[in-house]
Amino acid sequence: MSPGDLDPAEAARWAARSGLSLPADRHAAVAATAHHIHSVVAVLRELEFGDTPPAHAYRAEQEQPDAAV
Amino acid sequence: MRPYEMSLTEAADAIRARRLSPVELVDSVLERIERTEPRLRAYAAVDAERAREAARAAERDIAAGRHRGPLHGIPMGLKDLIDVAGTATSAGSRVRADHRAAGDSAVAARLAAAGAVLLGKTHTHEFAYGLTTPQTHNAWDPGRVAGGSSGGSAVAVAAGSATFALGTDTGGSIRVPAALNGVVGLKPTYGLVSRHGVTSLSWSLDHVGPITRTVEDAGLVLTALTGYDPRDPASLTAPATDYRPAAGTDLSGLRIGVPSTYYFDRVDPEVETAVRHAVDRLRALGARLVDVEIPMARYVQATHWGLMVPEATAYHERTLRTVPDLYQADVRVLLEAGELMSAGDYLRAQRSRTLMRDAWHRLLREVDLIAAPAVPATAVKAGQETITWADGSAESVSDAYVRLSSPANITGVPSLCLPVGHDTAGLPIGMQLLGRPLGESVLLRVGHAYERTRPARELARAA
Repeated sequence: MSPGDLDPAEAARWAARSGLSLPADRHAAVAATAHHIHSVVAVLRELEFGDTPPAHAYRAEQEQPDAAV
Repeated sequence: MRPYEMSLTEAADAIRARRLSPVELVDSVLERIERTEPRLRAYAAVDAERAREAARAAERDIAAGRHRGPLHGIPMGLKDLIDVAGTATSAGSRVRADHRAAGDSAVAARLAAAGAVLLGKTHTHEFAYGLTTPQTHNAWDPGRVAGGSSGGSAVAVAAGSATFALGTDTGGSIRVPAALNGVVGLKPTYGLVSRHGVTSLSWSLDHVGPITRTVEDAGLVLTALTGYDPRDPASLTAPATDYRPAAGTDLSGLRIGVPSTYYFDRVDPEVETAVRHAVDRLRALGARLVDVEIPMARYVQATHWGLMVPEATAYHERTLRTVPDLYQADVRVLLEAGELMSAGDYLRAQRSRTLMRDAWHRLLREVDLIAAPAVPATAVKAGQETITWADGSAESVSDAYVRLSSPANITGVPSLCLPVGHDTAGLPIGMQLLGRPLGESVLLRVGHAYERTRPARELARAA
């Protein structure tokens, strides 16, 4: 485990901070999966983004929720 | 040929010429369902009475001169993520027990308006969050996975228990099961088909599209599905288009990119051989092949997960807290672990997506489309969890099946998957054609030209 990884108790604490209370028998599995996800997405830190904006779609005008297709 | 064996195009032509009635067709497909379901389990629910009633109505309308077009009277299945008013959208999950959809999804409404006949809802991997659809069996070998998450839709089309079906695709969920079952799957351009009324896995990556027996069939269904819908924030205002491909097979002047990186890495040799053979066939039809390098390949999985994992967790936030035990183990742990991702992780993925889209747009100025394997391996045995490649590396089955599909979800470009042969075990192999945004017509033209050089495909062997 590298210094940045969460142990099972830390994973449970982080989840609780997100409002998700994990039973004790879930801590190890969630920590392991979170570690795997983190190891995959962390590679994005290599990228030089400069002024690149996120790819969100947002429009200021409100859609008509009951508009016909 | 029995009616259930007909492609959509063949059945539509026969109905228009009054050589076949919708009632005969729907009865034939319902009988086929009764025969194949015990082995394949493609459907979560079938409503035979509703289908027969719709078929009779279609027959009356057509007899009275009110023929609505090629989908009129054609029986089809909808992935069980797609709302149909008054019926359950079970999403393959116990979380959705007792669910009833209040209204039709946009695509269900469009198909109903076109006169298509709903047979029932097809199985999905739970909430589309997986690549195998364990409830369903592969149409060519019931001991192997159906692929997913639109496994039920692909198996039904391959087996003759639906003339066409709809699936959804967030990282390959239309194209993976299409490839593994030897049928055609089209993930359209992001925003071309409305997702209103379709249960989301990941808002920024979800697509809805057709699964059919032929490329021409896919064009017919796509024509009925498209159109601006203000209820889907990603909906595009593309002009109405007839996507039925022309009959010609001359591909002169088209530049087809053949990836020298990424898409042929860690690919089963039999898959590579079949796809390269199909690409050679496209060259024989007049296309020019161009070597291309796939940009930012190192960041594909990171970008895909960085978008999908937190979005899926957000969608399930409430039920993960109230009824966590109702989720299957594989989905539950992904949703729980997604709670630990940071806003920074998510924003990096969104910014990477911008870079990747820009790089792919530059690439697709050099070529008209890209041809590549759809998935790196054919259907694995049910329960198999990893694939070991020739270089000795091991990869989870899910990661392998997603790997070649997710770039089209991230970039939003259209991707058409079509069958190009079988491996020595008799399992289907799929090729994908990736095009420019809103370039569906080019993909359908090329895919249709390829199909016209091949003998007509038969229904799945094990069905």
